[in-house]
Amino acid sequence: MSIDLLVQALLNGFGLAMVYVLVALGLTLIFSILEIINFAHGEFYMLGGYVTYYAFAVFGLNYFATLGFAILAVGLAGVVAERLIFRYLRGKTLNAFIVSLGLLWVMQASAQLSFGVLDKPVPSAFSGIVRAFGLVISVERLVVSLSAIVLIAALYLFLRWSRPGRAMRAVAQDADAAALQGVDIELVSALGFGIGCALAGGAGGLLAPVFAVSPAMGALPVVKAFIIIIIGGMGSLPGAVVGGLLLGSVEGLGSLFMGSAAVSVLGFLVVILALLVRPRGLFGGA
Amino acid sequence: MEPSRGFGAPIAGLALLAAGVVALPQLTRDSYYLDVATTILMNLALTMSLRLQVSTGQLNMAHISFMGIGAYASALLVTRVGISFWAALPIAAVVAALLAFPIGGLALRVTGPYYFLITFAFSEVVRLFFNNFFVDLFGGPSGLVGIPKPSALPWFGRALTFTTKLELYTLMAALLLVTAAVLVRLEHSRFGLVASAIRQGDLLAETLGVNVFRYKLTAYVVGSLVAGVAGAHSHQVLHSSDFGLEPMVLLVVFTVIGGTGSVWGPVAGTVLMTIAGELLRELHHYESLVFGVVLILTMLWAPDGLVALPGKLARRRRAGVSLAP
Amino acid sequence: MPLELRSVGRRFGGLQAVADLSMTVAPSTIHGLIGPNGAGKSTVFNLITGVIPLTSGAVFFKGERISGLRPAEICRLGIARTFQATTLFREYTVLQNVLVAAHLLSAPGLGSALLWSSRYRERERRARERGLALLQTLHLAGLADQVAGTLPHRDQKALALAMVLATGAELVILDEPMAGLAAQEKAETTSVLQRLREQGLTVLLVEHDMKAVMGVCDTVTVLDHGLRIAEGTPREIQANPAVIEAYLGVEEPGA
Repeated sequence: MSIDLLVQALLNGFGLAMVYVLVALGLTLIFSILEIINFAHGEFYMLGGYVTYYAFAVFGLNYFATLGFAILAVGLAGVVAERLIFRYLRGKTLNAFIVSLGLLWVMQASAQLSFGVLDKPVPSAFSGIVRAFGLVISVERLVVSLSAIVLIAALYLFLRWSRPGRAMRAVAQDADAAALQGVDIELVSALGFGIGCALAGGAGGLLAPVFAVSPAMGALPVVKAFIIIIIGGMGSLPGAVVGGLLLGSVEGLGSLFMGSAAVSVLGFLVVILALLVRPRGLFGGA
Repeated sequence: MEPSRGFGAPIAGLALLAAGVVALPQLTRDSYYLDVATTILMNLALTMSLRLQVSTGQLNMAHISFMGIGAYASALLVTRVGISFWAALPIAAVVAALLAFPIGGLALRVTGPYYFLITFAFSEVVRLFFNNFFVDLFGGPSGLVGIPKPSALPWFGRALTFTTKLELYTLMAALLLVTAAVLVRLEHSRFGLVASAIRQGDLLAETLGVNVFRYKLTAYVVGSLVAGVAGAHSHQVLHSSDFGLEPMVLLVVFTVIGGTGSVWGPVAGTVLMTIAGELLRELHHYESLVFGVVLILTMLWAPDGLVALPGKLARRRRAGVSLAP
Repeated sequence: MPLELRSVGRRFGGLQAVADLSMTVAPSTIHGLIGPNGAGKSTVFNLITGVIPLTSGAVFFKGERISGLRPAEICRLGIARTFQATTLFREYTVLQNVLVAAHLLSAPGLGSALLWSSRYRERERRARERGLALLQTLHLAGLADQVAGTLPHRDQKALALAMVLATGAELVILDEPMAGLAAQEKAETTSVLQRLREQGLTVLLVEHDMKAVMGVCDTVTVLDHGLRIAEGTPREIQANPAVIEAYLGVEEPGA
């Protein structure tokens, strides 16, 4: 087994992993601010995919403009969901889980009724491959990975340096203390949920040309997102990145040696191990 | 002993359940209705046993996996080893319970959302195991078919057969009533008192001398045993997707929407939602839509479940002021 | 001597919350643990009751090592505690709370619970009687069927005390038993604790109200920044210059 093959496998794994990290970041951001696990998170991913399909494939809008539009649109949808539903469930994890399930069904059914159940392919905006250091990567994959990294960096900068971002971090750490210091919890909650969904929508837009859009396309990414945040630590953003890289490596290397079912089992076994050894995850707080 | 908070009167509840179960076949012999009713009974066994675990503060997403383990175990014992259903049933139950010890033992080292996630991971491992490994044994993605119905049982000189829908219904009814009696009894005993205390504050319970882990594990194993028995009973055709996330999620919905505060909550939830599902079945996608909306609204307006609603409304009217949740 | 701490220490990452603490709680006494905020008092309680593990030293109770045991086992050996934020089973009634706490004294197995035998029923009946009697001694009997979460603060505190007593513990550890109580209520609590001491109970408590502490305790240990800085009778402590200095600049909490 040559080193080139291994590195290539890793690279393949990483490429997609970055996008799943985006989904995971959205999920963990929502969890850290509202303390709820949004099971319908994959549906916002799916929404981003369909927005991309219609704006880019059907209307012919520029790909990056579409992506921006998808992020904004899905973010807005997230804010609506929070204002109508999730704001009343902050901290109530079990009830929120059930409600998010209801939302999942509503969004799935709506998608099936509106768009039909069949896959809709989305053409790639980029063609060709890049060769470097004996490794191969398609331009499309490269763009997807780099875009994901850009979005992750943007999120980091937002949370680190902007006022709303710092307010969100304060609420994530200790909501009561933040409220006492004058942070508008309602605003942070809505914004946080919106941004979390926007990230998922962006991920959906990025992977739409890679995998085609369908109402059920959110199921797999959300499972991967869960695995990532378990490994990295719920509520931890650097954890999500590291968790994503780990998952990408495991899956990339794993697919060299075993079939996809076994790779999935391996992923879950890693999750179980992570939860037993260090339930908070690599970076998680108490 | 002290009744659980919520719908009390355990004997009355059991009597009502038994009356309903016995009355149904008198009202109709229609094959379709008996089928639905049998499914409801099986789901009742599953949700009531899930609720036992929830009463100690754990949401076990692998509950349905034990149903699958019971189902595959009894199917293989009957088709491959050649023993009768009646011998396979207890063995399958024991297999489920035995596996519950290590899985529960590991999962219960963590709590809250982590427990939820770890049991979900276990359930996926089990599902993938049945779906993709040992294909000649478990049938792989196509599953197992042609599992025979239970053989005739000698009974005071005659033979009880289990081939018609009515007979299968009766079998499931017997299982369910025994299960319900056991679970109701547990709930209204010292076990139920301590179990709910654990849910309200497991650290407090621990410092008062309660072996919290042992209680939770007991609930886990007993619940898994019931799930295993329910699984062994009910299938002529087995497919790994019957034991995956979607049916598990339905179980959680049935349990929570009825209310986990009382042993009868899951009964209300299961019956109502199964009937609603059947009524909406014609509508295909609209079924999910309506279900989803109902779920969202119920959780927002009746967070303790439907069974707790009358009590809450009565208290509110009496007190004139809303009680803190 | 019931409770003995030998060089007990606890580190949290870089912070040494408790350092090399040795102290002894004599039987049938009321022993106070005081110190400025952050001195490590609640940590000491958590260490003794097994809620968090020690990083150094050991705790002995009646001559047996209890450090390293789980909280439930420590309770079974005779130590029960309350929590600073009055922790109760809020959805349960007052009597139900006491019955849970008393389960140790009459814990039937799963089997006999299922069988509903007459012996089981008898045990349950006696447990109920004992529970009500205990509530009577703390003037809570009239509230037996009231939901714990709806009780006024002083009754919640009394219930928390009833629960630790219901476990049959010989040593009760009370975390701020007088917090939030009016002067009259504090005096009542003091007399209750003194009565319990006469009956042979040992009490270890943390309290911020200096007057109350000096009024009820036989011995006082003073902690500051995780270290023991003084130990003795209330009079000795009040005159101790190191203690006065530790509290200097800290507003003395009034009664």
